[in-house]
Amino acid sequence: MKIPSLIATVTSVMLASSAFAADEPIRIGVPVGLSGANSVVAPSVVQSAELAVEEINAAGGVLGRPLELVIADDASGAAGAQKAFDSLVYQKEVDVLISMETSAARNAGLPVVSRSKVPYIYTSFYEGRSCNPYLFVDAWVPEQQVPPIVDYLNAEGAKTYFLIGSDYSFGRGMLEFARSYVESTGGAVVGEEYLPMDGSDWTAIISKLKASGAEAMITSTAGGAPNVALTKQLRGAGVDLPYANLAVDEGTAKNMGADATGILISASYVTGIDSAENKAFLDAMAAKFGDELRTPNDLSVPQYEAIYLYKAAVEKAGSTDTKAVVDVLDDVSFTGPRGTIQMSKQHHAPLTMYLGQVQEDGSVKVVETFKDVDPGEQCPKL
Amino acid sequence: MTLLLDIVTTAAILFIVSAGLLAIFGVLEIVNFAHGAWLTVGAYCAVVTGGLGLSPWLALPLAFVAGAVLGGVTERLIVRPLYSRPQDAILATWGLGIIIGQLITLGFGRDVQFTENLLSGTIHILGTDYSLYRLFALAAAVAIGLGFALLLEGTRLGLSARAVIMNQSLARALGLDTTRIRFVTFMIGTGLTALAGVLLTPLTSVDPTMGVAWLIGSFMLVMVAGSSFGALAVACLVFGGAQVLVSTFISPILGGITVAVLSALVLRISSKGFARV
Amino acid sequence: MSDALAISPSRSNAVRRRAAILGVLALVALALVIFGPMFLSRFSINVLTRSMIYAILAITVDLLWGFTGILTFGQAAFFGVGAYATAMLLTHIGSSPTLISLALVLAILVPVVLGTIVGWLSFYYGSTPIYATVISLVFPIVVTQLIYSGGTLTGSSSGMVGYSGLPFGLEGFFRLSGISLVVVTLGALIFVRSDSGRILTAIRDNETRCAYLGLNTQRIKIMLTAVLAGVAGLAGFLYANASGVVAPENTSFVFGTELVVWTALGGRGTILGPVLGAVGIDYLSASLSGELPFLWQLVVGTLFVVMIIFLPNGLAALVSRLTRRGRGEVVAGAGPELVSEAPRHHVKMVDGPLLSIDKLEKSYGSQKVLADITLDVAPGELVSLVGPNGAGKTTMMRCLTDGKESSGGVIRIAGKNIAGMVPNQIVALGVGRKFQVASVFESLTVAECLRMARASLEAPSFVAASDTLSLPPAAIEILQLTGLDQLLSTEVSLLSHGQKQSLELAMVVALEPRMILLDEPTAGLTKAERTTIGTILKKLTNELGFAAILVEHDLDFVRDISSRIVVLHQGRLVLDGSVDEVVNSDIVKTIYSGGDHV
Repeated sequence: MKIPSLIATVTSVMLASSAFAADEPIRIGVPVGLSGANSVVAPSVVQSAELAVEEINAAGGVLGRPLELVIADDASGAAGAQKAFDSLVYQKEVDVLISMETSAARNAGLPVVSRSKVPYIYTSFYEGRSCNPYLFVDAWVPEQQVPPIVDYLNAEGAKTYFLIGSDYSFGRGMLEFARSYVESTGGAVVGEEYLPMDGSDWTAIISKLKASGAEAMITSTAGGAPNVALTKQLRGAGVDLPYANLAVDEGTAKNMGADATGILISASYVTGIDSAENKAFLDAMAAKFGDELRTPNDLSVPQYEAIYLYKAAVEKAGSTDTKAVVDVLDDVSFTGPRGTIQMSKQHHAPLTMYLGQVQEDGSVKVVETFKDVDPGEQCPKL
Repeated sequence: MTLLLDIVTTAAILFIVSAGLLAIFGVLEIVNFAHGAWLTVGAYCAVVTGGLGLSPWLALPLAFVAGAVLGGVTERLIVRPLYSRPQDAILATWGLGIIIGQLITLGFGRDVQFTENLLSGTIHILGTDYSLYRLFALAAAVAIGLGFALLLEGTRLGLSARAVIMNQSLARALGLDTTRIRFVTFMIGTGLTALAGVLLTPLTSVDPTMGVAWLIGSFMLVMVAGSSFGALAVACLVFGGAQVLVSTFISPILGGITVAVLSALVLRISSKGFARV
Repeated sequence: MSDALAISPSRSNAVRRRAAILGVLALVALALVIFGPMFLSRFSINVLTRSMIYAILAITVDLLWGFTGILTFGQAAFFGVGAYATAMLLTHIGSSPTLISLALVLAILVPVVLGTIVGWLSFYYGSTPIYATVISLVFPIVVTQLIYSGGTLTGSSSGMVGYSGLPFGLEGFFRLSGISLVVVTLGALIFVRSDSGRILTAIRDNETRCAYLGLNTQRIKIMLTAVLAGVAGLAGFLYANASGVVAPENTSFVFGTELVVWTALGGRGTILGPVLGAVGIDYLSASLSGELPFLWQLVVGTLFVVMIIFLPNGLAALVSRLTRRGRGEVVAGAGPELVSEAPRHHVKMVDGPLLSIDKLEKSYGSQKVLADITLDVAPGELVSLVGPNGAGKTTMMRCLTDGKESSGGVIRIAGKNIAGMVPNQIVALGVGRKFQVASVFESLTVAECLRMARASLEAPSFVAASDTLSLPPAAIEILQLTGLDQLLSTEVSLLSHGQKQSLELAMVVALEPRMILLDEPTAGLTKAERTTIGTILKKLTNELGFAAILVEHDLDFVRDISSRIVVLHQGRLVLDGSVDEVVNSDIVKTIYSGGDHV
């Protein structure tokens, strides 16, 4: 069944395809939230994947074979992910899955991954401890993201913290870790409050925050809407405490305008990273997408690097055979915009973390850099 | 004191959000399931106004007009053919909500949009620093309530609408043009809802699905209130107050479902809800 | 007897033929789902496994909405609860054959309990359909919220994954879901055609009439909700096993609305339409939506609105319109065999008056519509209630059949105070009410309408559509007098105004009441029809000992048949006496010369 589509049926990037005429392409399945909650960042993820594939193909492909991207919408949720994984694995018969997804979508896809034995590189930061022999993660977990923020706030003199989050796995996972880390570094948590994921009225929580006398606050809401609503209402209520936001990205910060000024964020990627690799990456993105460019971010850059990591693994293994690839995926490394990445710690990667602060013009200024932060014990059994 | 302010301002916001729905429910006896879409349309009017570099206050009249026009078209094409099938009217407006949401997505993208605040900062009142905008929302709610009271009590249209609310067939027998009354009411209701969408922008994010969060709460409040604005005000105060109290003293998560659950129970116990108030 | 012999062979042939077709279809469907995996790609097997589970849900939505008229967005929540019950048990306690069986039981039982609660909340005397729909929207939202706040117990937003359920492979689950779907579909098809299944349609058509036939429609709807919640829970159990993962969105009202969309597009009220709608659309969306995410939803949304407005009965209606035969025509002769049945005397006879009204009062606010009405009616009496428009006659009838109507005074029927009773309870005391505008079931056949009237006396079958129709002799006589006995399998919407009036009267008589209330039974009837009705009424009261209360404007008619006349004026009882006393009284002359038509 052939149907014309917006996002070309199979977003195949096959430059110099004549060179590979004889060889079957290596198919990379990208289940991603083109609709639903993740649809805000999904386009940037697709773009960075397209750039990686284009670059690799232009340089001769992998083992002489071209790469081909197969994109499927997972609707940012479990039901959509099941369809997307089924379609990619059984219909399009991809060799690997590389994707940024919600935790629900990832979990929904894992049974398919286990059953069909396809390597799966997950490129979204998440609440941690998702373990599967075929699953590798090149983005951060709470153990990497929270300490820089709390260390910084501690150094600024904050002793009492108020934690606010959306009631879902990521929100609770991040704040639970934040609480234990705050307490282990001598601080105190004077309040921890959650609102339903689609909740939009933070009134009562903000009043509690104001009454608590906290010296700093850390928030971890669902991305996008709740984050913006909370920030608007905080500013409306005149809250100007040191404000660390675990769930905001540069793009959302920009859309919040003046309300975002001063927010602290902790990320493994910000556009302002001063390295040759990052400059080359940003230039290549700008050249390829021009006006259509979606600002690269902490979710799209790991996608870019994961494709290179997969390339390195296939080349080292000498084939796309799942067992061979999975065996070497944690041995290979790639130096990209975020620095040198290797998923060497129980299928997770030590990462350099950047503490940034949102400026008045919406840009993020790097305040401090934390080298090679360890992901900790994520999957001791792997 | 903050608690008191939280309660009245929360009630005010609930009132603003559900007033347009109530107008439609009261006269047409259908629940406009595309209510959330109109809130969203209103909020995007604020985005457009901002994009054109106009004063954010101009978004208010713009949204009212846009909402009312869109409402007029909807009433004519979708609601009117379904008067005799109220359940299908629910479904059709629900489908319309999906369509509007998708069209907004195609037009503006999924991203959260930036809107300029109508009012920012705090004011010292009753011994505490309180959000100026929330107090403004309180004033806006009172203005909308009074506006409706004037409309209903003081105009011909209001008189006719009240007649339709009381007894549809009698009103028709008396020679009232019920079709026109419903048409105009639907336009006013949707216009007002879009206006509420603008009023929400300083409080929430603006994105294609923003309306959904407000949907259930307003449905329940309107079911409880029946067709009376006074009852709606009382319902907003009681249930909004309960929401703030539950959020403050028990858990904000339970607070999020307080309005819906309490309203359902109130209606179960007394099927007229607060309509007698 | 000879009649019956002539009719029943052809009729039972038709029944047998339909059963045979159904059986063959079921066998073909079974063969398809059992041998399907041999021909289908792994992708199709996977997607169709889920689609078929969803189709089971669509059937439950169709039974509620398409057949009974209860628009619900809540079926997804029962499904999700079933799925979560399974996943939580298998995750937190462990997996063994015993535990999997326990999971199956819980996956059905918990939704049934919740369904009962939701039903209780949604359906009570005086609740509106919109209210029930809104509750069906609130319920999944509450459930989803609870799952989000459940932490590791429910897996919160990430859902649950990694438990081990039934040890079937891809193909095994395809066959299991397929067989379940065939069984549920077959069960639903048999049920909706059975005598009890028709009650659902009767409730959709005219719930008030159902209540006045003594059916406790609220309880039927609560039970239906509970049972279908259990079926949805079963689907949830299948889903949790087949997919190996459960997530909050499985319980969400968004999924619930999707089910309604599939049902609507497939064709509500057809069972097969929603099944094909669910499987077709879900399969299509798995194949297409990845490529056109927003456009896909836009297309489905637009299609949905257009269908609701222009083709409310979905694609199935389009198909059946093209192939429609038989139904929709006046079918003479066909239908079940009428069997005369001795009256059951299900209501105990009492001494003293059948109806005793003492100082009845009814007011709206400060306005008194009825005041100080005191009246006794004994068995065998035919009491006519006359008076000008607005005298309170219809209000009084309403007070007699709804214990929540009156504002003061006491009404006793067969010695029982009816205060606070709802209509079906009062009907159970032996009261039958015929409304002013014929209140029948438009989309049922004549025979089905009559069977509804018997449903409260003898529990109808859940499986069979009976080919006999047992009625008390009096009811059969009405049918014969009016010719309705020749139209038993004709759809009521095709009957004339007079025929509907007669049918309603036959239904009321079939209830075997001891007191009948009639509100202008002759309005709009021809002279011949009036005479027929009059004859019947006289017979019922004189020979069979019924009591009857008649509201009537036609004084000639009243004079002919009444044993007593009561005059109401401005909410008060002004005269109560024999026909002669009343007709010749000055009061009546004054009242009626006041301008009211006679």
